[in-house]
Amino acid sequence: MRFIKLLLGDIRFQFKYGFYFMYVVFCVAYIWILLFFPAAWRQKAACMMIYSDPAALGLFFMGAIILLEKSERVLNALAVSPLTIMEYILSKVISLAAISTLVSLVLAIVAGSDNIPVILLSVVITSGIFTLLGLIIAAKINSLNQYLIATVPLEIICFVPPLIYLFYPADILRWHPLNSSMRLINGSTNHTACDMMILILIFLILFLIAHRTTQKMWKTIGGVKL
Amino acid sequence: MITVEELSFSYTNKPFISNMSFQVRKGEVFGFLGPSGAGKTTLQKILTGLITTYRGSAVLNGVECKTHSKSFYENIGVDFEYSTLYEKLTAYENLQFFGSLYAKNVRNIDDLLESVGLQNDGDKKVSEYSKGMKSRLNFIKALLHDPAILFLDEPTSGLDPTNSRIMKDLILHEKKCGKTVLLTTHNMLDAAELCDRVAFIVDGTIKALDTPHNLIMQKGAASVKYTYYDGTEHTGQCSLTKTAEDQLLMSLLKNNAIRSIHSSEPTLNDIFIEVTGRTLK
Repeated sequence: MRFIKLLLGDIRFQFKYGFYFMYVVFCVAYIWILLFFPAAWRQKAACMMIYSDPAALGLFFMGAIILLEKSERVLNALAVSPLTIMEYILSKVISLAAISTLVSLVLAIVAGSDNIPVILLSVVITSGIFTLLGLIIAAKINSLNQYLIATVPLEIICFVPPLIYLFYPADILRWHPLNSSMRLINGSTNHTACDMMILILIFLILFLIAHRTTQKMWKTIGGVKL
Repeated sequence: MITVEELSFSYTNKPFISNMSFQVRKGEVFGFLGPSGAGKTTLQKILTGLITTYRGSAVLNGVECKTHSKSFYENIGVDFEYSTLYEKLTAYENLQFFGSLYAKNVRNIDDLLESVGLQNDGDKKVSEYSKGMKSRLNFIKALLHDPAILFLDEPTSGLDPTNSRIMKDLILHEKKCGKTVLLTTHNMLDAAELCDRVAFIVDGTIKALDTPHNLIMQKGAASVKYTYYDGTEHTGQCSLTKTAEDQLLMSLLKNNAIRSIHSSEPTLNDIFIEVTGRTLK
């Protein structure tokens, strides 16, 4: 029950801070761009859009969310509440995955994708992965500039190979773990279960790391100046 | 309610808190006074379960602080010196959200808002609040789940005299309701007024612990100051214990010629400086 209320609180927070409005605008813009493409290109263009934005929005937004929570010192209050770190992280992951899934669904429908359930499942896990990556970085930084600088190498590693792989599925890129996500979104996988398992494994590893970094963040920020 | 025994903690190799022992009784308002860096914050982080790598024992509500579960926080309320609220949410939404984190039933939000005079501002965003309003809202946030133990950090800091009075009355009301209050403050007048006992903390150790009254009376020689008029105004002074030996005072009293008379004990601040050799900065 507490988790549901926490989740609703996070969704309300994201709504109030304009995340939903922003994604309505982005969604309209993406649809408009997609409709400009010839029908044959739409599916690949939609894959590129889904992977690099709604699926990855956690990487961009977690920095903003954590920095806001740090600047408004809400984390201090959360650290001395019965809220567990697992609940805190899962609430962020699920609330952001909800936006990712909604936007991806719209884009997949507009692009005429025929593997929508797999796309959405893949987006949910990929969104979780990027949210956790964002959380791990944001937990250690104190300004937006630091966050932007810290995420650049991560963006290169996480975006460039999968986007190249989408258009040129070279063998050398095949083993990049996030290409599993791209294959699932693109519908080009021959091993759906295997690619899903890879994503779930990455998610679990990152969850453990995020748990540790969040715990450390709560202990160093929470109640620092009681 | 709170028992601390031989508590030691260090961030580095150098001890930061050493061998601290004290008890806080149920329903007591207990003050921590000390300069910045004295160890008050660290001590409270230990008592609120945020630092768990200490030596010795710190038992709060029957639970050793380093081994607490998350339900430990069901009975602790912390009012930070600064606002810990979502600025874009309204006061009501903030209280609803933070209240939802507790398993127990929370207090009525309207009643809490009314208790601090914010009943007409519940639908305002916190970003539109003044500092004083945020302080009051922050305070009732700590009371939401009706905790048995309250940690208050500079609760009157930055408040105007009227709001400061409201806040102090609220603290005294919580004490009357049986709450145990741990108060950290630099304001000696607040400490003297609110605290049943105070601990002077310097360099990670307790230098003195007693009621404000006892600390003042033990250390200070109270004196009597009086003014009288004999063409021009004059001031006289004698020790409170030697008033009968002051012939001038006796004669002025006999002739009803005293214009003003005051006993003047040293303040808690004077005692703090005397005991610790430090000022409260």
